[in-house]
Order: sequence, then C-alpha cells, then structure tokens
Amino acid sequence: MASRKSGRPSKSLWSQTGPTPRLLFGAFAIAAIGLLGLTPKTLFGLSIAWPYAALWGAVGWGRVGLSLRPMVLLIIFGLIQDISFNAPLGCFVIVNLVVYGFSAWIASMFDVMHEPLVAVIAPILQFISGFLVLWLMASALEDHAVRATPLVAAFLTTGVIYAIAHKVFDLGRAPGQPVGQAT
Amino acid sequence: MARLSRSGQKPGKRSAKRLILFVFIFGAAALVVAQSAPQIRHVFDPVRTAAGDQLGGSDSISLWARISGQAARERRIRDLESEVRELSRYKAAAISMAERLEAYENILNLMGEPPVRGVTARVTAESDGPFAQTLLANAGRAQGVDPGAIALNEGGLVGRVIQLGEYSSRILLITDFNSRIPVMGEVSGVRAILFGGRDGLGSLTDLPERSGFIEGERILTSAEGGAFPRGLVVGEARRLGGDWRVRFGMANRSGGYVQMVPPPLIETPALDADIPALDVPDGPAQASAAQGVRQ
Repeated sequence: MASRKSGRPSKSLWSQTGPTPRLLFGAFAIAAIGLLGLTPKTLFGLSIAWPYAALWGAVGWGRVGLSLRPMVLLIIFGLIQDISFNAPLGCFVIVNLVVYGFSAWIASMFDVMHEPLVAVIAPILQFISGFLVLWLMASALEDHAVRATPLVAAFLTTGVIYAIAHKVFDLGRAPGQPVGQAT
Repeated sequence: MARLSRSGQKPGKRSAKRLILFVFIFGAAALVVAQSAPQIRHVFDPVRTAAGDQLGGSDSISLWARISGQAARERRIRDLESEVRELSRYKAAAISMAERLEAYENILNLMGEPPVRGVTARVTAESDGPFAQTLLANAGRAQGVDPGAIALNEGGLVGRVIQLGEYSSRILLITDFNSRIPVMGEVSGVRAILFGGRDGLGSLTDLPERSGFIEGERILTSAEGGAFPRGLVVGEARRLGGDWRVRFGMANRSGGYVQMVPPPLIETPALDADIPALDVPDGPAQASAAQGVRQ
C-alpha cells in the first residue's frame, strides 16, 4: 500500500529475487519435470510428447551471458538425460551446452531483453538448433536417420511451455554479478 | 573504465567463460566419440546400471519411510508382494496344465518348449527419444531376471533385456529400428525378419520372393537364431502400400507391467571326443537301466 501511495508500482517477489535463487528454482523445476517425464506418459491411450526440460534452462540462463554455474547444471542434466534416454554419455550434454552457448551469443549480439521481435525469434532459433543438433547426433550414432516426428513433437511442447513459463528461467543478471551491471 | 558487454561482463572474463564452454562441449564430444569403442562403452555400463537401479526403484526402504516410521510396514508389504509373486507362479502353472502337457511330451518322447518361469515387473520409465526405444522395469538380477530375458505383456512380445542391473532391467522394444526378430505367419508359415518402422508399425525384410503373408494373420516368433522362443505373438500382418507391415500386439495392451521370461537355452553340442565311449551292457545291467527310467 505504501508503494501505491508513493506512486511507484509494487515489485513482485520474483523480480526482487537474485540470480542464484532463480537458478536453483529453475534447476528444481527442470529436475522435477524431467523426473516426471520418466514415467509412462499416456492419456486416454495417446502418448504425450514430453518436453526436454533442460533446454528451458539452456535458453533462459544463456540470456544473461555465459556463467559457470548454469554450465555445470546443464552438464549434470545432460548426463541424466543420456542415462534415461539410453544415449551415449555426452550427447545431451553437447545439445544443452550448444543451445546455452548459442543463447549467450545471441544475447551478446542483440538486445534480447527489450526488443520484442528478438525476444520471440531468439528462443525459437535456439530450440530449432537444439533439435537439429540432437537429430544429427542421434542419426549419426544410430547409423540411420532417426524418426523426426516424436522429436519435433517434444520440441514443440518444450517451446510452448517455455513461452508460458520463460520467467522461471530468467536470471535477471548473471549469477554472482552485482546489481547494476545487467542491462 | 573497462568496456562492458551487453550482458554486463568484462571482455577478458567473457572470453575465459567462452573457452570453458568450448572445453566442456569438446569434452562431451570426445566422450561420445570414445564410446564408439566397445571397450570404453563397457566402462560406463556399471554407471548406467547403477542409475537404472535408482530410477527403476531399488529394493531399499526409502528415507521418507524411515523418517515417518513406516519402514516396518513397507518391509511387510514387500514381503507380501514377493509371496504373491511366488504364489502366482504356482497358480499359473496349475491353470495352464503344464504338468499334463509335460507328461504327454514325455510319453511321446517329444522335445517340447521348456516350461515358462518368469518375473513380472512394473515399467518405471520409458524413453521414446531419438535413441534406442527402451523401457526400464523394476526387476533385475536380484529378482531372478536373466540376461537377454524376453519381455512380454498382455498383447504379446515387448522386447528383450539388453541391460541388467541388480534391481532393474532395460528392455529394447521390438518397435525399435535396431531390433531384429525372426518371425513367421501363423497360418501361411512365411518367414521374415521384423524390425521397427518409423510410423509405429513393424517392417519386414528377407521375405521369400514367391509367397506372402495372409492379411490379418497373426505374426509369431519363429525361434530362428535362438534368441526368442517359438510362437510368441508379435502382432498382425497388414498390407500397406504394397508392403507387408506388422501392427504390434504389445502396443494395444500396455498395462504398465511386463513379464520377463528367460531366453531359450540351447546347449552347445558336445564334440565326439568329449562323449565317453559306451560300453555294451550285459543283460542284468540293461534291466536295471530300464527300471531306472521307469522310476
């Protein structure tokens, strides 16, 4: 009420939260959704395309530039994904890190925070790049062109959920970076 | 004053982080490439099986059960579950008249299929990603699952165990592109090799040129190669676009459980030199041998 009286808009709890708690919360969300995705996923006999949750972190955390802690988390998530998908160890690590690096590169080139068009197109390009890297790696390692349809479905789900919940993976500024340096 | 980038980082610090990112990516790529060698891939197998045990549900009492004082109840439930599993085996054996069949086979001196003994497990995880299509079931070596065990559900053949942990098994589905199953038509008797297609139906290869399946007939395992027993239901034959395809039976009845039965064991024939020479028996000895058989 005090802030309304003074004319300033009230800040939400999330906007006041620092990057480290945001990073931990995002990691928890990814782990929870990823673990839930290991269970059989059918609804009325139809199989549900489950999102690649770690990519939310790769795209969202990369928006504030490169940082060591998100990288370590993405490596851990990638190794868990490799084991759960029965992929050679390192495949999903590469996918996560490439998308993370791509996200950070786009953030360094364009204003992803304030340009609406860039803010929309950049995540789409990053998810497509993740899909392409994963499809190429899977096809190369499996010795045949793997089915793209379930992969596209999973990536569409990933993108749609990210569009709704992207704020959860927005760090505001790089972890460890003092207030005032971020754009 | 040092120039800051758009993300608010100094260029030197940023290039160091970029270098770290590249090192991580190349490290992961090296790891992937290294695993193309089977010797190195096998090094990671214990890690995979240990993780699979954790994902598949280990036999230990959970921490929450210990904290909330429900450990005794959990233990009791597990004991009862194992007892039910044990009893269900006897029930199945009684119902299926396996013993009578075995007696008939003995009378006819017929080499029939070995009696089925299996372990039923819950599917705890499934991966339908771009890599091998697999299931993770919560029974492993400790529950009596054998390496290469055959997994079945209510609809028929599900796959084969390709990775066996202490409390978990990873099953390669028959819908996977890399699975190769020798099959035959139930009525036509035509033999072929089945593998998973891209559209969820099975594809058939190595068909005879002059004969084909009958539309709608059941496709069964033919037991060629010895990996699968003969006569397990795989699906139904369908003629689509000039090709014979298989609609998988297991896809219609995925109740979340699989039964894992041991793979057929075919003894390696002994060499002539290893077989002891038979002595020509006398009259009384012959009589005693026959008595032994009767007994």
